[in-house]
Amino acid sequence: MGAGIGASTISTVSAALTAHGLTKRFKRKVALDAVDITIAPGSVTALVGPNGAGKTTLIKVCMAFERPNAGHVEVDGVDPWKHRSEALRRVGYVPQTPAVYRGLSVEEHLTMARSLHSGFDADYARRRLDQLAIPLDQRADTLSGGQAAQLGLAIALGTRAKVLLLDEPLANLDPLARREFIQVLLDAVKSDGSTALLSSHIVTDVEEACDGLIILGAGKVLLDCPLHVARTAHRLTDSETPPPGATAVGSFAGKGTKRMTLWRLPDAAASGGAGSPDAAASDDDASLEDVVLGYLAAGRGTFGLQLN
Amino acid sequence: MLARNLLTRIWLTFKQQRFETIAVTIVCVGLTVTALIEAFRLNSLNVPLSCLQSYQGGYVDPYQAPITAAQAHCNDLAKSFYDLRQSLDMSLVQLLLLFAPILAGIVVGAPLVAKEIEQGTAPLSWALSGSRRRWLLGKVLAGVVLLAPLMLAVGLAANVLEGALNPSLNPYASFSNYLGRGIPDVFWALAAFAGTFALGTILGRTLPAVVLALVVCFFVRAAWDSGMTHFVLRSFAVPQSQESQQSQQQQGYVVYGPGGPAYADLNIYYRSYIDGREVTDAEVNAWYNQNMVCVPIAVPTPDASATPDYSNMGNIATACEAPTIDQSHFPQQILYVIPGSWYWQTVALESGLLLLGSLFCAAVALFRVERRRPY
Repeated sequence: MGAGIGASTISTVSAALTAHGLTKRFKRKVALDAVDITIAPGSVTALVGPNGAGKTTLIKVCMAFERPNAGHVEVDGVDPWKHRSEALRRVGYVPQTPAVYRGLSVEEHLTMARSLHSGFDADYARRRLDQLAIPLDQRADTLSGGQAAQLGLAIALGTRAKVLLLDEPLANLDPLARREFIQVLLDAVKSDGSTALLSSHIVTDVEEACDGLIILGAGKVLLDCPLHVARTAHRLTDSETPPPGATAVGSFAGKGTKRMTLWRLPDAAASGGAGSPDAAASDDDASLEDVVLGYLAAGRGTFGLQLN
Repeated sequence: MLARNLLTRIWLTFKQQRFETIAVTIVCVGLTVTALIEAFRLNSLNVPLSCLQSYQGGYVDPYQAPITAAQAHCNDLAKSFYDLRQSLDMSLVQLLLLFAPILAGIVVGAPLVAKEIEQGTAPLSWALSGSRRRWLLGKVLAGVVLLAPLMLAVGLAANVLEGALNPSLNPYASFSNYLGRGIPDVFWALAAFAGTFALGTILGRTLPAVVLALVVCFFVRAAWDSGMTHFVLRSFAVPQSQESQQSQQQQGYVVYGPGGPAYADLNIYYRSYIDGREVTDAEVNAWYNQNMVCVPIAVPTPDASATPDYSNMGNIATACEAPTIDQSHFPQQILYVIPGSWYWQTVALESGLLLLGSLFCAAVALFRVERRRPY
């Protein structure tokens, strides 16, 4: 427990990140609409949604960059708006655009991080960068997009934070850089036991990396479940005839001219999860991309589930 | 550890603001050296004070005896002094010395926070730093560490130049251009720095902050003198001593040409009295209109046989007097001044006020940084 923080600051921590009734409005636009999420410690959760869904806003609220209009959020048991210093000690953040200081070298970025964040592990960050053969004496503004993103990740990891919040870090990376980024992230999460919330709209990448899925659409949580549940509890068909007992989620344009419909199976709907993570996915399961598309279509009101 | 971290952040701030740091350093060092060179040029003329005091600006009094060779040499020396004093490069250096503190403060202050917000690096720093206050402290100290010694050098060089420009005045005991030289330079720079820094924090954009700061700073600078005179220094002013009046009259001769005479005392206000009763300017004018008798006067000419010509003599073609009234009943004017000997106290007071303003602006910046979004 850090200095200046009382026992009352930290609630009983059973989740790495929780949000209850979290609402954020920008004038008339509702960016987050009574969002409720809980992220288990040690998990890697994908935060998926189209542009404007509220992914970045959710992360910014967790970083105390934005003040919620209603509800509250806790990062490792600390409310970032009420106890910013304590909350930020527990968070490593990778911003959407890998912003680096133009005049500083990679090493100087680590020096700066060490001077700002007590307990910043520069050696750890340096090792991560060494593994990727990123020269420490290179000026940061001459790094490639992938290298800059890796620098951002190395800084976030160097904080040895319990919770990592990654705001679409893969968006501007080429496939190889994306894969390397995810690899470094997974290694770190595995070795440190930290929790990561990875915002992205590249579903195929998060599919490999994550064990939880949150789909946001128009500021609302459309789906929040383990990743394997998302796959096994849904079916995709090209007809409007539902699988037995299934509920239509959403309809969207499939490959070619077919209109596809995503169905949610009844046992999944009842239990909120189906099978175990180790259960093998069958050919009938919807792909993660299908699930995301189906829920996004539902969020746009194409048809399907009544989402609150 | 804390001090080391702070030093690291100051150093990294310099590196982040490399262009501004180098530009301001070069300009200030260049200006300091130039001012010293100009002062050296004036001093190296070795013009005796008596020559400067007797110099009539090239006007030859037709009623005086022809000047001697020594007097002609003296006039030549004085002329070369005044020519150099009024030269374009000297005027330019004086102008730059006057505005350098404000410009340097603006250039250093504007990008400190605004550039981070513009370039999207603020989220990186603010996510790392639990305390934005500490982050801001590193930035503010970097500005202070850069500006204070540079402006001190510029201010001291300006003092040396002021001494050379007005040889009869002690720059440390006179109010001639006192806010454009010496210690006040440091505080003007810090005030401009803090103000611009606060504007950059509020606006989150460098260029608008620079433009707005230029307008605000120059308005404040222009209004400062009269504001200080009317609201602050007025309560400290004392009647000017007779010695000071006489000395002032002598000093007045020294400064010839544009800019008017430079005096040691700082004139604050005057009061008029008639027979011990304080009166207004209007009453003084009324008194003169009522009691003065103006008559044309005959001006002797070099050629006694010639007819006096008043056509181009203007006001001096008439002489006014109050023949029936004793001199002691004439309106008396008492000038209230801050004596030149109070230079340091006055500089301390005004610098303190500028420092207070700087601290206020820094507090505004801190308040804004604590609450604003990093983008």
